[in-house]
Amino acid sequence: MAILDIFNRRSRLDRQFDELRRREEAGELHSVSRSRVVRKFLNNRLAVLGLVVFSIILLASIFAPLLTPWDPSKVNLRAMMQEPSLDHWFGTDKTGRDVFARVLYGGRISILVGLGSALVSAAIGVLIGCYTGYVGGWLDAIALRVSEAIMAFPEIILVLMLVTIIGQSLFNLMAIFILGGWCGIYRLTRAQMLSLREEEYVLSLRSFGLNRALICYKHMLPNALGPVMVNITLSTAAFILQEAGLSFLGLGVPFSTPTWGNILNAAQNLSVLQDNWWMWLPVGLFISLFVLSVNFIGDGLRDASDPMQQG
Amino acid sequence: MLTFIIRRLIILIPTAIVVSFLIYLALDLTPGDAVSHMISPERTADPAKLAELRQKLGLDAPLVVRYWIWITGVLQGDFGYTMTGGAPISSVLASRLPATLELSGAALVLSTIIGSILGTLSALKRGSATDNILTVVGMIGVSIPEFFFGLVAIMVFALQLQWLPVGGRLLPSYSSYWDHIPNLVMPALVLSIMMTAGVMRYARSSMLDAMGREFIKTARSKGLPEWRVNLLHGFRVALTPVIVLVGFRLPMLIGGSMIVEQVFQWPGLGNLFVTSVSNKDLPVVMTVALLSVMVVLVVSLLIDVLTAVIDPRVRLGT
Repeated sequence: MAILDIFNRRSRLDRQFDELRRREEAGELHSVSRSRVVRKFLNNRLAVLGLVVFSIILLASIFAPLLTPWDPSKVNLRAMMQEPSLDHWFGTDKTGRDVFARVLYGGRISILVGLGSALVSAAIGVLIGCYTGYVGGWLDAIALRVSEAIMAFPEIILVLMLVTIIGQSLFNLMAIFILGGWCGIYRLTRAQMLSLREEEYVLSLRSFGLNRALICYKHMLPNALGPVMVNITLSTAAFILQEAGLSFLGLGVPFSTPTWGNILNAAQNLSVLQDNWWMWLPVGLFISLFVLSVNFIGDGLRDASDPMQQG
Repeated sequence: MLTFIIRRLIILIPTAIVVSFLIYLALDLTPGDAVSHMISPERTADPAKLAELRQKLGLDAPLVVRYWIWITGVLQGDFGYTMTGGAPISSVLASRLPATLELSGAALVLSTIIGSILGTLSALKRGSATDNILTVVGMIGVSIPEFFFGLVAIMVFALQLQWLPVGGRLLPSYSSYWDHIPNLVMPALVLSIMMTAGVMRYARSSMLDAMGREFIKTARSKGLPEWRVNLLHGFRVALTPVIVLVGFRLPMLIGGSMIVEQVFQWPGLGNLFVTSVSNKDLPVVMTVALLSVMVVLVVSLLIDVLTAVIDPRVRLGT
């Protein structure tokens, strides 16, 4: 009877289908108000998990003062290098600062750098890519050349080179990330536009005499937004990793501001690495969890916004 | 074929010129020049003398002329001298290059092999538990910062278990080439993790694509055993895009090696670059940046040619 078992085993989808049928028969079904993308996204367990973790870490950073009584930069030489306790959840560092408070407040800066740079560079990339992709011409040629030159650099080399030239600060770091980051989304949007502009509806809009900006920003852009959203999540993850790496090397955000990378910098010391795990292990896990959640969200968005996969 | 290569070269050259000019411009825009480094600001020298010295060194020439002098020097292998120590940059680079090639080469080979095997496996078992687990593991692999991986590896394998050395490359006590292989293990593995995840993902979709083609049906209908269909018909076709991807991942490898070399004190180019950035040693920073861009451009050219050799549609198209 083992073979028949396969037919009787009910998967999650089967159960969902049964539920749907029951509701249809009971007359409870009504037309769907949420969009298909949102529905598909919410059906993806990993994506929802990612969204939950992302929100928790984001909110914990924003409301850090409510969650911890400690000041992240208050030096307390009487409480140096203490192990985690009820008082100091993640222990204290070499100058007696509370590590948990530093992780929460550091999250503010790290998330600001990651999300902020990703959003601004996406805005710039979409703005340029959308217009030049549709209109073409000299503006397109220039933007294409510039982005080619920038993209020829390995990312971290470009970033470090610019850090050497304009110096280290939070603002400079974000400016550098944006300078290096807009090209990817620009190329993506431009490619989408190139294929969209052959569509019938664009032709008909043009024949109505609509102006070019209106056609490309209002009518074409919404159709290109799916891949752009996915790309924003990917570059958020990449920027957070880069900020952490640079600050770990001591070349990112100056040490006076706590960020996830700056906190991890303590682990460059071998004795800290071996004996004081609480100074670097929890914050490393925080970064990893946050980036992982962003990647899960991105993956969910990719599946949800891909028109090739109907569902 | 030849016209294709020439056409590619013609596209590549302007980018190379623009990039090198941008790098030179950036160097030029930073405050201070060679003279301000030669003469300390405390010794307030006569401005006329300073101007004369600048003229003698050719620093008063227009930007384009100075760029020309610099770029012709670079093309002949003369990169100038480091600001900290004054050694010729070319000899500093030459002493660091073998370490970097060794590390990135090992990581490249490891990630390509492991990544394509795992990717193929997960494509063949599409939708199974193995596939799902591998996908999530790959996701975790790209989400953990490389240096954090490195730190955990050092703590576990070097400090706690004492299986492998903490870092460094060559020790005075090492007599043969193979003595430093234990030093290479951790950096190479850590560096390859992120790339392995990328290769795996790509190999999976490429394999799925290949297995959906008609010739797989033909092979099956001929009655070939499944492993022959998978390996000799599917995998071989799926491998080409994977190789192309590996080339495109090169910038990532260069970037990753910066941080990994620092974590493991591996004396390669990445380590040199990071030290130069913290010392604000601009000539070295510029040279490494320029060279890495050139490597990326040349590799992308090679990939284009390679794909054209493999797939005639590429070179016959536009």
